[in-house]
Amino acid sequence: MIHRRAGLGLIVIAASFTTWATASAQDIKIGYSGALSGPASFTGLDIRRGAEMAIEEINAKGGVKGRKLELISRDDEHNPVRTVAQYRELVEREKVVAMLGATNSASMLAVTPIVNDTLKVPVICPATDATAITENDAAKAKKDNYLFRIGMYGTGQANFMVDTMVKKFGHTKVGLLNWTGGWGVTGRGELQRRLKENGLAPVGDETFDSNDPDMTPQIIKLKNAGAESILNYGLVRENTFVVQTKVKLSDETPYVSAWGVAGPSFWKAAGTAAEGVLTSTTITIDGPQSPERMALIEAYRKRYKQEMDAPTSVFGAYDSVYLFKLVMERDGTEPAKIRAGLENVPEFKGLIKHFKRPVFTREQHNAIREEDMIIGRWTNGKLLEVKYDDKGPYVDIDEKTKKYIDKKNLKLM
Amino acid sequence: MSFFLQIAASGIATGAIYGLIAVGYSLTFTTTKVLNFALGMWVMLGGMITYSLVVQHHVPALIVLPLVMAALFLLGVVAERFTVLPFLRAGSDVWVMTTLGVGLLMIDFAEIIWGRSPTPVPSFLGNRPVVIGPLSLLPQQIFIIAVACVVFVALDYFYRRTLTGKAFRAVAHSGEVSSLMGINTRWVQRTSYAAAAALAGLAGFMVVPLTLAEPQLGTVLGLKAFAIAIIAGLGAPRGILICGLVYGALEALISGYLYTGVRDILGFSLMILALFLKPEGIFGKPIEERA
Repeated sequence: MIHRRAGLGLIVIAASFTTWATASAQDIKIGYSGALSGPASFTGLDIRRGAEMAIEEINAKGGVKGRKLELISRDDEHNPVRTVAQYRELVEREKVVAMLGATNSASMLAVTPIVNDTLKVPVICPATDATAITENDAAKAKKDNYLFRIGMYGTGQANFMVDTMVKKFGHTKVGLLNWTGGWGVTGRGELQRRLKENGLAPVGDETFDSNDPDMTPQIIKLKNAGAESILNYGLVRENTFVVQTKVKLSDETPYVSAWGVAGPSFWKAAGTAAEGVLTSTTITIDGPQSPERMALIEAYRKRYKQEMDAPTSVFGAYDSVYLFKLVMERDGTEPAKIRAGLENVPEFKGLIKHFKRPVFTREQHNAIREEDMIIGRWTNGKLLEVKYDDKGPYVDIDEKTKKYIDKKNLKLM
Repeated sequence: MSFFLQIAASGIATGAIYGLIAVGYSLTFTTTKVLNFALGMWVMLGGMITYSLVVQHHVPALIVLPLVMAALFLLGVVAERFTVLPFLRAGSDVWVMTTLGVGLLMIDFAEIIWGRSPTPVPSFLGNRPVVIGPLSLLPQQIFIIAVACVVFVALDYFYRRTLTGKAFRAVAHSGEVSSLMGINTRWVQRTSYAAAAALAGLAGFMVVPLTLAEPQLGTVLGLKAFAIAIIAGLGAPRGILICGLVYGALEALISGYLYTGVRDILGFSLMILALFLKPEGIFGKPIEERA
């Protein structure tokens, strides 16, 4: 009797599994592998959250032609070896039709050839900025390129940083201060290149490593070299030491950093020492915002009981999912068709920006180009977008208050 | 000249921290020939507890300091009992591994308790730079240099002038003979280990306002302090302070006049060179082996 019952139970369980399996086979799976634990998880979790929120909205409104979207995510611990294994697993076993990019540029560089040659699933990267992720071998050989990006990219960001300081702020004596880690090394090369293209050479070219809590020698050397501004590639920790040292030395040289310090964690670590620091980025959620962006900011706050740690990642992932949706509704859910479709989106009203030109083309897989990048100024805990008019650069403190920025020391006038 | 003075002074402040940690290695080595290889992680623990009390629980810094040192002292007593003593008794060198193991555990626990992201700890002396002639230093940096000097003078006095200090030196010379002379060798061993831990706590308390509080904080500090203890000579506390200050200044000057990338290469090469020329350390006395 007992045996019989157990047998019956098994049949019921087995039956429920089959129905579950067939139900989920109709779902459209989007894959994501990124750092969900460890120091980079503030970005990794925000990519997942941005995607989750977009998917829930889409599913609540009936999904993609009646089929629901499902996010399958994996923790690669910021480790390229794991990323590669998880990409295979997600595509070959889970049959995802599209992916969101990882948190580590090295991870994306490792999977890029595999994605283009064997996995052939379109990937949009919201967070990784190494130029070669999108400008890869397939792109150079004019083959189908499955890698797309909706975030900053190396070459463009360096061009934008240099051009902003040289052309908009009129600084010709530019000093460099970069991290000796991977990202800092490539960034430093890109900055040197762009300065040269502007007919300039850095007046000082300093570096620091992750264990330098005191940057006195570097700051004094740059100051003595007469730097009108200092450009940097580095992350929150080291940049905190830089701005603290600048305060200690009462140094007012304008400090401009790549998007490593574009999130609230920088202000949390550096406090008022970060006041006036400029950073290039795709988006800031501080200052006056559009109602659509406010809605997402509010929804995030409500759902995750905190403020966004990496707004660029939340919005990047959110817009990526909507891009996939738009293309899948039009061209179907085959990975190759989604890939081709992404190169043919003539206009897209995203939250990062309203693209009134094709988001991607066959040759250009970076959605955010130099002209779309913005510079933010850390102002009393907020990263406010720097705008320009005849009188020079300014920030909107709120809807009514506009403050001009002194080009010499980046102070508010 | 002002460039030279400014970076040397900043470097000396970092060097004072190296010196404080380095003397911890010396404390245990002289009494028991044991080294707490994870001293850097103990510094981190001191820093994280400071962060917890000052930032999360708003305890005044001057109350936090004795608390941190007491907590690490007690933890030192426990750690010595369970991760060093059993191996010392057995005449084994496994303590090399166990002291390190304790340090790695500390990092893991710190990550679970406090998370991995670096967080600032405000200095109780404020952040307004003190300008002395060509020098501009943070009050915390001046505080560190002053405290390091006080600790070393006190230590010197203790070793040379007090009975307990003489007992420590006797144990350092020969545990067995001191034991026969009625010195409680066991007490000396335990206390020196715990005192090294408490000093690491002091270093952690002082360093977090300059760095940031994070579980990886002490690893490199501990390594550099170890290099300094070796360069100076493990048995020479006074030499260790001098070496620490000089090493810190040298590091900053290398960054200032040459290039940051070569700093650690030169620093560690110097250590190897010093050992090659004088294996017992610059300030160390050669150990006389009697037949």
